[in-house]
Amino acid sequence: MPILTLQNISKRYGAVQALAGVSFEVPAGSVFGILGPNGSGKTTLLGIVTDVLKADTGHFTLFDKTPTARERRQIGTLLETPNFYHYLSGYKNLEISAAVKQRGKDDIARVLDICGLTQRQHSAFKTYSLGMKQRLAIAGVLLGDPEVLILDEPTNGLDPAGIAEVRDLVRRLAGTGKTIILASHLLDEVEKVCTHVAILRKGNLLLSGAVNEVISRNDYIEIAAANNHALQSLLLQYPGCTSAELNGGLLKVMFAAQPDAAAINNYCAQQGIWLSHLQLRKKSLETAFLEITNTPAQ
Amino acid sequence: MKQIIYTEWLKVKNYRTFWAMLLLALIIIPAGNFMVADKFTENLQQLSKLVGNPFSFPDIWLTMASINSYISALFGLLLIILVTNEYTYRTNRQNIIDGWERKHFVYAKLFWLVLLALLTLVVATISAILVGVIYGNKPFSFEGYEYMLYYFLQLVVMLTIALLIGVLVKRAGMAIVLFVAYNMMLDQLLTFLLKRYVGTMGGLLPLQSGDELLPFPLVGKMVATSDHYDTYVYILAMLCYIILGIFLVFRKILKSDL
Repeated sequence: MPILTLQNISKRYGAVQALAGVSFEVPAGSVFGILGPNGSGKTTLLGIVTDVLKADTGHFTLFDKTPTARERRQIGTLLETPNFYHYLSGYKNLEISAAVKQRGKDDIARVLDICGLTQRQHSAFKTYSLGMKQRLAIAGVLLGDPEVLILDEPTNGLDPAGIAEVRDLVRRLAGTGKTIILASHLLDEVEKVCTHVAILRKGNLLLSGAVNEVISRNDYIEIAAANNHALQSLLLQYPGCTSAELNGGLLKVMFAAQPDAAAINNYCAQQGIWLSHLQLRKKSLETAFLEITNTPAQ
Repeated sequence: MKQIIYTEWLKVKNYRTFWAMLLLALIIIPAGNFMVADKFTENLQQLSKLVGNPFSFPDIWLTMASINSYISALFGLLLIILVTNEYTYRTNRQNIIDGWERKHFVYAKLFWLVLLALLTLVVATISAILVGVIYGNKPFSFEGYEYMLYYFLQLVVMLTIALLIGVLVKRAGMAIVLFVAYNMMLDQLLTFLLKRYVGTMGGLLPLQSGDELLPFPLVGKMVATSDHYDTYVYILAMLCYIILGIFLVFRKILKSDL
């Protein structure tokens, strides 16, 4: 059963087309990254899913049902900014969240502890630092231990230690089988945890699906020999090689499929070129992402 | 509904501004009642022989309702603050995200509207009874209590206007300015212009409809009331404004982006 199914969702703010016919599916148990530069429509999309924004056209389902408040209560959501009553303490704010979610107060202590706010739980929200506000919002998401989480830029405002903690938390939650929808423009934030991805640019869905299927992230090799120019022309003849660029003293060589370093080494030796350097490299999601988002919109 | 009221209670339980304003608004009712009664009894005994004692039953109900209608705005401000706070803190979004239907948000604010109006009616009734017993010279009676109900209805109209302005304007400062301007001036000004250039229907504006039913006690008896509809017309007008206002609030909250 898909957790979330979007069908042809469009939304316009005046002259700006925030979303243009976006459709995709979030499978249960996936860690679903919604990627895109600032202003690409990520928050608008999640706003529509959580019913704070109205789509102009299209529809969506949650848990395969027409979405109502009942479905939203089963999802922990952090959308854009931490929204709390400034005059109330962190604890009292979570009491309100718990009441709206129709859950008891017994989980509040646990989530405050996870987010490191136990000590300051009785201070007013307005006295919190930006990072603490964000932590409280994450505590609100975890309240009641929901099976589905929507996190929109969850590391906003956090210091490096906080960012690492949130990533660790997301990884642990993903490990327990929860479905996590994670919107971010920080790619390293999602690189290691996402199983699925949807990439948006200017409201258009560029692609979506399982990470390994939709983003080609084959390893590449860095290679060098006494005569790099000879090596370059030799490798360009190697089956499956798509490019070989000279970059400083090294050749950066790309392949259509996963490269086999031993075979390449063997190939070069047979042709009389002895390698002084050979290293397998992983293409970062960032590189892949930039390749995708820089191609002109279709 | 119980869940909604409980949540609203959590929101205000530790909110000092709310309690201070509520207390102030509620204290002003008996304070104003007693002050007027005391001054009148002290200074205008001659006049009271002429027109009767407005602090005796049954006249007391009209007198107090009329006086109270001048200070209703405080409750409107309180409601505006409760509404615009949600927009300022963006908790109107969070409540929906966390699991309210949009209509629950309207119910929550309508709850405050009804509660504030009822609370005011109760305090005003008790205050009027006390003033009537202390300053009046006739036995207690509920005769003429309908004036208090007109006052209540006018209060609900005013609170509906406050709610509508809060929901449409969203920002506390601007909403308060608009509300106060309408309350203190615009409604009267429009009434004046309409009555002058159009006729009796000028008295059918939202707040004026209530005022028409709550004439100033002494003067009201002396002024001829030919340019006046029957009571039920004003009551109907007020009910229409309430229904229209609440309809617009629902439409705004249910249809628009939060």
